[in-house]
Amino acid sequence: MRLLVIEDDPLIARSLDQALTPLGNIVEVFTHHAQAREALQSGHFDLVLLDLGLPDGNGLTLLAELRQRGDTTPVLILTARDGIDDRVEGLDLGADDYLAKPFSLAELEARVRALLRRSQQRVDNRLAFGALTFDATSGVATLYEQVLDLPRRELLLLEGLMLHAGSITPREALENRLFGYGDVGPNALEVYISRLRKRLEGSGLRIRTFRGLGYRLEEVSS
Amino acid sequence: MPIRRVALVWFLGALIPCLAWADNPLVVEAALDREVAAPLLDAFEEAHPHIQLNFRDRSTLEVDARVADEESPPDVVISSAMPWQMARVNEDYAQRLESPEARAWPEWAKWRDEVFGFTFEPIVMAYRLDLSRYVMPPKTHADLHTLLTQHRETLRDKVTTYSPSRSGVGYTLFQQDARYTTRFWDLVAAMGATDTNLEANTRSMLEGLSEGRYWLGYNLLGSYAMVWAQSHPEVFVQVPQDYSLVMMRMAFIHRDAPHPGAARAFLDFLLGREGQRVIAGETPLFSVRSDVMGPYTAQRLRDQVGERLYPIPLNASLLAFVDPSRRAAFMERWQREFQRLSQPEPSQGEPSAESHIDKGPQR
Amino acid sequence: MIEVEGTLKSRLAIWLLATVSALGVLLLAEAYFSSQRAAERAYDSQLEAAALTIAEAVQWEAGQPVVEIPSAALQILATRHQERVFYAVLDADGQTVSGNLDLDIAPEWRRRASSQPIWLNDAYHGTQWRLYGRELDSAGWETQDPVQIWVGHTMTGRESLTEVLFEHAVTRFVIMVLLAGVLMLLAMRVALAPLRRLRQQLRRRDADDMQPLDTRVPEEMREMAETLDSLFTRQRQGREALLRFTADASHQLKTPLAGLQTTSELALKSDSPDAWRQALVEVHGSAERTSRLASQLLSMARLRHAVEANATARIDALALLHETAFDWAQRDAAQAHDIGLASLPASPQYIQGEAWALRELLGNLIDNALRYTPPGSVITLGVVSHAQTLELYIEDDGPGVSPEVMAHLHHPFERGGRQDTEGSGLGLAIVDSIVRRHEARMQVESAEKGGLRVRLFFPYLTQHEQG
Repeated sequence: MRLLVIEDDPLIARSLDQALTPLGNIVEVFTHHAQAREALQSGHFDLVLLDLGLPDGNGLTLLAELRQRGDTTPVLILTARDGIDDRVEGLDLGADDYLAKPFSLAELEARVRALLRRSQQRVDNRLAFGALTFDATSGVATLYEQVLDLPRRELLLLEGLMLHAGSITPREALENRLFGYGDVGPNALEVYISRLRKRLEGSGLRIRTFRGLGYRLEEVSS
Repeated sequence: MPIRRVALVWFLGALIPCLAWADNPLVVEAALDREVAAPLLDAFEEAHPHIQLNFRDRSTLEVDARVADEESPPDVVISSAMPWQMARVNEDYAQRLESPEARAWPEWAKWRDEVFGFTFEPIVMAYRLDLSRYVMPPKTHADLHTLLTQHRETLRDKVTTYSPSRSGVGYTLFQQDARYTTRFWDLVAAMGATDTNLEANTRSMLEGLSEGRYWLGYNLLGSYAMVWAQSHPEVFVQVPQDYSLVMMRMAFIHRDAPHPGAARAFLDFLLGREGQRVIAGETPLFSVRSDVMGPYTAQRLRDQVGERLYPIPLNASLLAFVDPSRRAAFMERWQREFQRLSQPEPSQGEPSAESHIDKGPQR
Repeated sequence: MIEVEGTLKSRLAIWLLATVSALGVLLLAEAYFSSQRAAERAYDSQLEAAALTIAEAVQWEAGQPVVEIPSAALQILATRHQERVFYAVLDADGQTVSGNLDLDIAPEWRRRASSQPIWLNDAYHGTQWRLYGRELDSAGWETQDPVQIWVGHTMTGRESLTEVLFEHAVTRFVIMVLLAGVLMLLAMRVALAPLRRLRQQLRRRDADDMQPLDTRVPEEMREMAETLDSLFTRQRQGREALLRFTADASHQLKTPLAGLQTTSELALKSDSPDAWRQALVEVHGSAERTSRLASQLLSMARLRHAVEANATARIDALALLHETAFDWAQRDAAQAHDIGLASLPASPQYIQGEAWALRELLGNLIDNALRYTPPGSVITLGVVSHAQTLELYIEDDGPGVSPEVMAHLHHPFERGGRQDTEGSGLGLAIVDSIVRRHEARMQVESAEKGGLRVRLFFPYLTQHEQG
């Protein structure tokens, strides 16, 4: 994967480079918007990590330009300004995620992975997390390359969780996915979750419950 | 100015097609001798050839009666009977004249811009040459009184003056005389004592003087008398040296004038420079305007006689003269005074003459 | 935001114009009527004089009244405006003894004139006439019958005198208005002088000068001057507080930075990789704490800063709670804890507030709970709807705090009596600040399961405000 990092602080820039390259990425770092703009116009990137506070202008302008061109490259905003207004504005302009400084590298890696996954899915319509894969075109899920023979609702549930793998899938989203917008008992979703949990036992993956919030598909080791 | 007026008149004529301008008549009822006024009327007709002037010469009383004629009111009314003219104006028979001439007219010779005194006529005494053979001719009213008192027999039946009852002008003059001094009544008594002959107009008095019937005349219209004296060398005119009354001929446009445009043109002519020039130069009437030249101008008269001219004021006080009860009282006193000194031996002529006195108002 | 709206001068001028116009209409109407009255009086007295002059001339002869109308009476009647005149002398039966116009004197007028002189207006031949009638008791040898004297004239003179008088009144009024306007301008210059003086003084002031004003002002401006003074005082206090806070904050930041410095210094002197590793772990933890402290200081500063105008909005408390909990549940710091929502009411619950501050508030409470409870603790957020208030709560099943400590919980830099855990103690102070900003109430109590329960009571939006 080709990553574009726009960050003027050399310490952070180097940390990002060192943290993301080992994950199998090519990381290019720019310290000015002007250079980054040129790079974005000439080449293809799978993810942009954008620092808003750069000496030569507001990163939001760059983001707006990018989206105006119809470029859908995922953008993760990094900023020391954690004002909610900036955050909302950034997301409104088409940023895909937002991380306030200071951040832990672990969190950064998780976000980057999720974004890259989504980016990948946009490319080949295929989801993968750990030993689990899901092909949205054929509707086939595999675990350790073994096809999982799942009922329709469990398959839908798995797809939903995999779309947000590593982060929490809101409970409402899953319910809508499985049962449509009709009224549904509070425990209906829990039934399918526990069925899926059983199937994933020993796969190195698990589904964690966040009370009232949703579920997360995560690797056991984390 | 006349040319412009004609142009305006033509313009109006064009606007009103039913009004044939060529035979647009103008009726003037006037107590003014036609032959005296002839040059004035000719000049007007020349200046306004499109107006057909109908000048009716009547006595003052007739003129006054015509004003109230509702059937065919005249356009312009001219009379020297000042109180009667004034009364008619006060009764709203006149209409206002709005013109530069009217505005420029001296205040003392107009009232309400409705009636205008357009001539200036001194009142004079006249005597026959014969008189000076016996006595010094009188120069003042006091002289006259002395003369009448001292030469009563000599002057018996030789003196003449206006009849206050038959002449509006005469009545007005006596009223005005009486206003100035109460000794006027002594003069009346003295005139009564000499069996003074009462005439209805100045012409009759002048004729009597020329014929030798009268030696002395009192309160004659100066304009007529002066012209007469020029052609009759036996008659002398004396402007009284103490005071000389001045009478004005008054003209107004009738409220219901059938031809108001022509009437305005006529009055403007009378008051205008040209009309006044004709009055001063070609008629024996004196002009009022001071900016015209001629033998008969008010200014020239003032220069000759000095400041002893007493114009009869053209104002509301004149109205008192036509008040019926005042007139009756005046006439009563006149008669009483006239007969006072002749009572012991009453003369033959006078009572019969005064029996003509009409008590009613002269309208 | 200063919006310039006209000038005092134009405002005063408009007021002056409006009042003067209204007053002017009244005054001019009054002036017109009084002019009319004055003209009436002036000319009525001439009518009276003329009538008296005529009365003088009435005499009795043989039981009949006779009158020789005096010329003077008529001249008085005509006035210098050359009015047309009317006079009539009537005997006791109403028969005309003498008179000049056929103007009928109505019996009603005669009756009224018999008791006292009367004035009246009458139209005759389309013209307005002013008439005056009075009765005259006369003494004669045979009879004492009264006679009535009526006089009248047209009204040109009255009209023109009214006009002249009115014109004078109007002229006087206009001059007065102009003078008043000029005086007003001068008076305003004088009256506004203290304002100019104050302005100059303010303009000369240094930006840092927060001393009270030293100037003379009129009574009307005292309030404004005092307000300015109190504004300066508050600014001074605010600045002093900010300085104090900055000093405190610097001190707070210096401490961990000093730790970082010494730790890294020691590690650099050492040759042992184990010692390096140990030092790095400490540096990492300290850096994390320091950045948290910095962001909390920032929040605190932001809260202390003047409130941005109209920053509050109608907010669905449920959505906010959900969003904040969701955000925190994903964070690294929360992975060892069980963060969750209690079951929430079905319909949205609205309160008035600033979204960022409320997020900050909940975030701090969650952060506190994460820090002061052992791993594995259960942290639950929820909403309870009361009659007047909406309660947002967060509870944990940790060790809790003692009642004595609870009272001091929200003073800055206090750590709930514990020195063992990380944190600056700023969190609860921030929370307290935000709570007060929202006119809410906070209650800290021990939870049923033994942990801490923080309850926030927000005033509901009224039905009207919700609409």
